[in-house]
Amino acid sequence: MRAGQQSRLRLATLIAPGTLLVAAFFGCLGVLFVQSFLPSAGMGRLGDGFTLASYAAFLGDPFYVGYLLRSIAIAVYTTAIVLVLGYVVAYHMTLCGRRMRLAISIVLLVQFFTSFVIRTYAVMLVLGRFGIANRTLQAIGLTDEPLRLLFNEFAVATGIVLTAVPYMVFPIYGSLMAIEPNLRAAAESLGATRRRIFWEVVFPLSLPGVAAAVVIVFLFALTSYIAPGLLGGGYFDMIANLIYDKAVNAQDYPFAAAAAVVSVATTLVLVYLMQKGFRLAIRGTER
Amino acid sequence: MSAGAAASGRRHAGVAIASLLVVLVLCFPLIVLVGVSLNAGPRQVFPPEGLSLRWYLNVFDRDGFRRALQFSLALATLSTATALVVGVLAGIAIVRHRFPGRDVLLTALMSPLVVPQVVVGMAFLMALSALRIHSSLLGMFVMHTILVMPYTVRLVVSSLTRFRISLEEAARSLGASPARAFRLVTLPIIRPGMFAAGVFAFVSSFENFTATQFLVWERTTLPIEIYGYVQTENDPTAAAISTMVIIVTAVLTLALNRYIGVDAFARR
Repeated sequence: MRAGQQSRLRLATLIAPGTLLVAAFFGCLGVLFVQSFLPSAGMGRLGDGFTLASYAAFLGDPFYVGYLLRSIAIAVYTTAIVLVLGYVVAYHMTLCGRRMRLAISIVLLVQFFTSFVIRTYAVMLVLGRFGIANRTLQAIGLTDEPLRLLFNEFAVATGIVLTAVPYMVFPIYGSLMAIEPNLRAAAESLGATRRRIFWEVVFPLSLPGVAAAVVIVFLFALTSYIAPGLLGGGYFDMIANLIYDKAVNAQDYPFAAAAAVVSVATTLVLVYLMQKGFRLAIRGTER
Repeated sequence: MSAGAAASGRRHAGVAIASLLVVLVLCFPLIVLVGVSLNAGPRQVFPPEGLSLRWYLNVFDRDGFRRALQFSLALATLSTATALVVGVLAGIAIVRHRFPGRDVLLTALMSPLVVPQVVVGMAFLMALSALRIHSSLLGMFVMHTILVMPYTVRLVVSSLTRFRISLEEAARSLGASPARAFRLVTLPIIRPGMFAAGVFAFVSSFENFTATQFLVWERTTLPIEIYGYVQTENDPTAAAISTMVIIVTAVLTLALNRYIGVDAFARR
């Protein structure tokens, strides 16, 4: 009896701090959810009562919904580009020598650990009016005047792609390394071509890693704030920029909260569908 | 054997070239950034127009960067230390104990990773204002601790799972107190995992921008300061401070590689 009490006390002590922080986190999210249903009295003040006015204001205006749709569109195609680039690097890492693999890992990890603000700023320096991209284009005579490479969708997408690649590489590399090496050798000894081995053995078996990485990168791209903020310069804002602007500059908490709830719900549905699609694809390859 | 390796190298030359090209494109902006920081002139151009370290000196002349750097380091240290303690305690409970709600707790501890940063930041802003708390410092500390906790929990759980509890029980049966058994047996085994967790947590607190920007009315952090600077100013000072951060990051990465091996990390 006493021993049981003691171990229960021990368990409570172990989980208390974590539970407290989790409670604080969900408490804050709860405040956000509740406030999305309150009437706004302007200037950050809230009225009393229950209203769906903020949801109606967000969903009823194509201008606002446009932010969300634009973010989904850019997330879809940047994720596809990042998948191709990341897969090539991950696949190469399984084929190359130990030293090369270490070098690539370290380069990717430094990127992974370097702040998004810094990496996005670096892209800004490349694409700017006097940046190296424009000066090269002018030097080789492709254009006479500096092109506007910055402050548009192209710049935002470039920033997202360049910052997201490390997120794609590591999970795919992990699942490629988990493939039984004998499988490849067996396919080879049975006379399969390199292309067939890749598409019929390697790629299907790497799908779990692809699925995980695609979801991570899609979420990352969809909720981008820094890339549109620095590289879009206000000309190509995404949904996160709208939410920040409504909360901090317009001080319309209920609207910002409603926009956040709608975006998170949409994201959850999309991620669920993606995972379902991947599960079907993985099951398809197991036949 | 070496003939075979050479043949396989030749066969995959296309993949190798494409992959190295991608890695080069990824590195290129950072190379430009370093080059820009070394400019002798006031323009952010690459290749630099003359070499000098004047923008590095300028970083330290600017109060904004110095204070933001100090605050970011303090915030990252404090939230990492707290998250490590919380992560070790919760990790032990989750791996070693069976209790109702165990999976829920683990999912909840990992959930800050999947909630968009902009939502996390706004939720904290709204909660602080609903509670009429005017200081943002405590809120920022709690938020950063929550944001980095998933890294510490995950790495502690994975290193404890691979470690057999019988070792600690052996120490106990030989007369060690629970605390002593933990300190002398368990801790050394999970230390590499904790080191990696600490690096991850520290870096993700130090670099956080999107959630943090909602709570910066008292003190700003370095990413916020750099973001504001590059939007309004046009000289290489931001490139200089960014280069310094990248150098420190590279050193940390190499240390991580020495200690646990990046290959082990990449496979995790």
